[in-house]
Amino acid sequence: MSDSDDGFLRVSDVSKWYGDEQVLHDVSFEMSRGDVTVLIGPSGSGKSTMLRCVNRLAEAQEGSILLDGEEVLSPDLDVDDLRREVGMVFQGFNLFAHLSAVGNVALGPRRVLGLSEREARERAEAQLERVGLGDQLDSYPAELSGGQQQRVGIARALAMEPKLMLFDEPTSALDPELIGEVLEVMHGLVDEGMTMLVVTHEMSFAREVADEIVFLDDGRVVERGPPDQLFERPEKERTGRFLERIASHD
Amino acid sequence: MSALGTLAPAAVDSLGALASGGAPSVAASDVAAVASGLVVGTADWWFIGEPADWWFVLDNADYLGVGVLLTIGLTVASILFGFALGFPAGAVEVYGDGLLKRAVGTVGVVLRGTPIVVILIVMYFVVGVPQINFGVASLSPPVVAGILGLGLRSAAYQSQIFRATLASVDDGQLEAGRSVGLSRFEAIRYVVVPQALRRSIPGFQNEFTIVLKDTSIVFAIGLAELLTRGYDLFSERTTAVLEVILFISAIYFVLTFTTNRALDYLGTRYAIPEGEST
Amino acid sequence: MAGATRPTTVRERVSDADVSAGRLLLVAAGVLFWGWLLVSWVNRWLGGVVVPVGDPLVAPGLVEGALASLPALATYASDAAFVVQLTPNLAQGTWLTVVITGVSLVVGFFLAVPLAVARVYGRFSAWLSLAYTELLRGTPLLAQLFVLYYGLNLGRYVPGALSGVFPRDVVWVAILGFTLNGAAYQAEYIRGAVESVDEGQITAGRAIGLSKVESIYHVVLPQALRYAIPSWTNEFVYLIKYSSLAAFITVPELYYRADQVASETFRYTLIFVVTGAMYLALVITASKLMERVDDRVAIPGLGAARER
Ligand SMILES: Nc1ncnc2c1ncn2[C@@H]1O[C@H](COP(=O)(O)OP(=O)(O)O)[C@@H](O)[C@H]1O
Ligand SMILES: [Mg+2]
Repeated sequence: MSDSDDGFLRVSDVSKWYGDEQVLHDVSFEMSRGDVTVLIGPSGSGKSTMLRCVNRLAEAQEGSILLDGEEVLSPDLDVDDLRREVGMVFQGFNLFAHLSAVGNVALGPRRVLGLSEREARERAEAQLERVGLGDQLDSYPAELSGGQQQRVGIARALAMEPKLMLFDEPTSALDPELIGEVLEVMHGLVDEGMTMLVVTHEMSFAREVADEIVFLDDGRVVERGPPDQLFERPEKERTGRFLERIASHD
Repeated sequence: MSALGTLAPAAVDSLGALASGGAPSVAASDVAAVASGLVVGTADWWFIGEPADWWFVLDNADYLGVGVLLTIGLTVASILFGFALGFPAGAVEVYGDGLLKRAVGTVGVVLRGTPIVVILIVMYFVVGVPQINFGVASLSPPVVAGILGLGLRSAAYQSQIFRATLASVDDGQLEAGRSVGLSRFEAIRYVVVPQALRRSIPGFQNEFTIVLKDTSIVFAIGLAELLTRGYDLFSERTTAVLEVILFISAIYFVLTFTTNRALDYLGTRYAIPEGEST
Repeated sequence: MAGATRPTTVRERVSDADVSAGRLLLVAAGVLFWGWLLVSWVNRWLGGVVVPVGDPLVAPGLVEGALASLPALATYASDAAFVVQLTPNLAQGTWLTVVITGVSLVVGFFLAVPLAVARVYGRFSAWLSLAYTELLRGTPLLAQLFVLYYGLNLGRYVPGALSGVFPRDVVWVAILGFTLNGAAYQAEYIRGAVESVDEGQITAGRAIGLSKVESIYHVVLPQALRYAIPSWTNEFVYLIKYSSLAAFITVPELYYRADQVASETFRYTLIFVVTGAMYLALVITASKLMERVDDRVAIPGLGAARER
């Protein structure tokens, strides 16, 4: 996997400012097809911002992000095309409140990919089956538990058949007993070979599935490496301190 | 008298002593224009109008000024009257029960479901309001009917504002009040009402501007406030119709705008400190 | 829904019966009111198939006789006959009231949505939208009607194709006035609802590749317009009531006709109380209708939580 670097996603020296405040400082890392990379770091360190730069929900001012050989940051790039190919799962689910589970998942295929009503619905049903919600097709977000909502969120992203999935703390808003079902679905995606860039505080999950861990602090990559190395023998003191703090919370 | 037809001339002296603006000043040559009906000024660009017509508006500024005072007076009196009735009515809808609550609710539905012009006409013709004398000033029947009509309708709307804000104060507040030994009435009076009143400011603001704008509808009972006086003016000089209406519209706009900003200020001034929300 | 199995107490059952009796009465009154209106209108359009045009559906004498024979109601017999005599006139006026309100509301809605969206998401257009709504909401409706009718004399410009539709061309001026004014108020209500839609909804729309406009159209508006229904109902009710101001630019709607008859017969009390009741009936119909719509389009799981 990671040893055969095919440069599928290459983030180089990305910097980003909000007004005068620089929130990303020359961030670099790369992923191969089928890789799982986990971004960790304290709150406010720029993890979400980094993720959002990849699908241009946030605009990086400097650096380069190459996805499958194409420059994501190029001003000529059609961002809607980009987002078609990059799925995103949000911390707060952000399900469309007025649409049923099927409606949520079918909206993209119908309106963005231009599938027919029936094709879109079939695809949505298949994706919901995939995340284990075949029995909740016509439920509305407000009728679902948090874990179920997040699984709809994942199905919604999958329905676009993305080549890269971004997860922004997908389990942080969930009650502890609901976290498992979401991680299980994500596990399944890993097994299917999905390329995933994940922000999470679930360290055991990260350890199990990640090919590489990137530790961000204050908008800088402090350290990165395979989970075993990073968790067992962190090179930087800051990394160790952060991991200790997280561990003491569990 | 038909409220829609022959109202203009009768309207002028409706506030007795207060309304001493007199009739609009019109040059003799303009009278001919009246007969020819209402026509738009023949300026190069209609929106600007004729300079002479704008001078006509300015010449009669004092006549309109008295109308502005009447409009403001009518607004304030109606709002106060509406508050005096509307606040207790709102409280009854929240805390009352039985027949009283039902009666208040029904009257409210009727007042809110009837056009203000119908309410005003009913007050004027049906209730047959008398002239009221205060010694220094007297209130003519149209003025009394105007305040009654606008005030009653405003009471019906204000009761809804207060009903909502009284109900929005957490029940725990009332219980806490009772727990320190206040009676139910005292707890409502000293704990719930102060919070509810502050929360009522945005709704009240809305209501204030509605009443202010709707004072123009006393036109129907020939009360010489701003709009009626504007109507009188452009009936006298039919080339200045647009100029007059735009001018009085601008005055209304300034009135609603300043009222809103003033109440905005009041809203922030008396807001309950909330601290930074996290 | 669930939880309806708890046995009801006697008191609850009594009050339920009370409520349903009131409901029944309301429904009966509604059916009578609208039945009368519809039959009157159809009768007029078809040139008097039921009764000759201009005649009441029921002969006044009949009503008078019937009431006079009942001791309790005998005193009202002549008043009732008078009101019955008025009904064709009132029905005709109500037709214009309904048309003016309906057309202005619908056309105003299609102006209001872009105004509201511009206000929330636009830059320069947000200022334009703000200026428009502030100006129209900051001046009296009656003054606006005067600007259109007396100031701009728009009645002259009504195209021939339209002028035959209503008894007076000036109806179009009134419709224009209420449309422009109502659009401003509707825009304000819709704006509030658009702002209440969580920002994450647009983000999610953009994340699956919808453009901003598409996200607004497919994601934000379907939610916002639902949330706007209660306050939008207010605007509906306001329009019904304020349509009476059209009388002051000589539109022969309900209030105008009532006023005309009143000034001929001097029976102000009776006529305006009846007129008020008719407006009340229209208003109640509108709000019940919108309550139904609100229930119908409620988002499952959210509907119950929202207070109303
Ligand atoms: N839209 C924004 N406008 C201004 N500052 C922002 C915005 N989004 C994030 N920030 C700032 O950028 C920094 C990084 O935020 P974020 O990427 O959300 O961190 P993380 O996801 O690691 O908690 C924080 O200091 C945050 O306050
Ligand atoms: Mg974050």
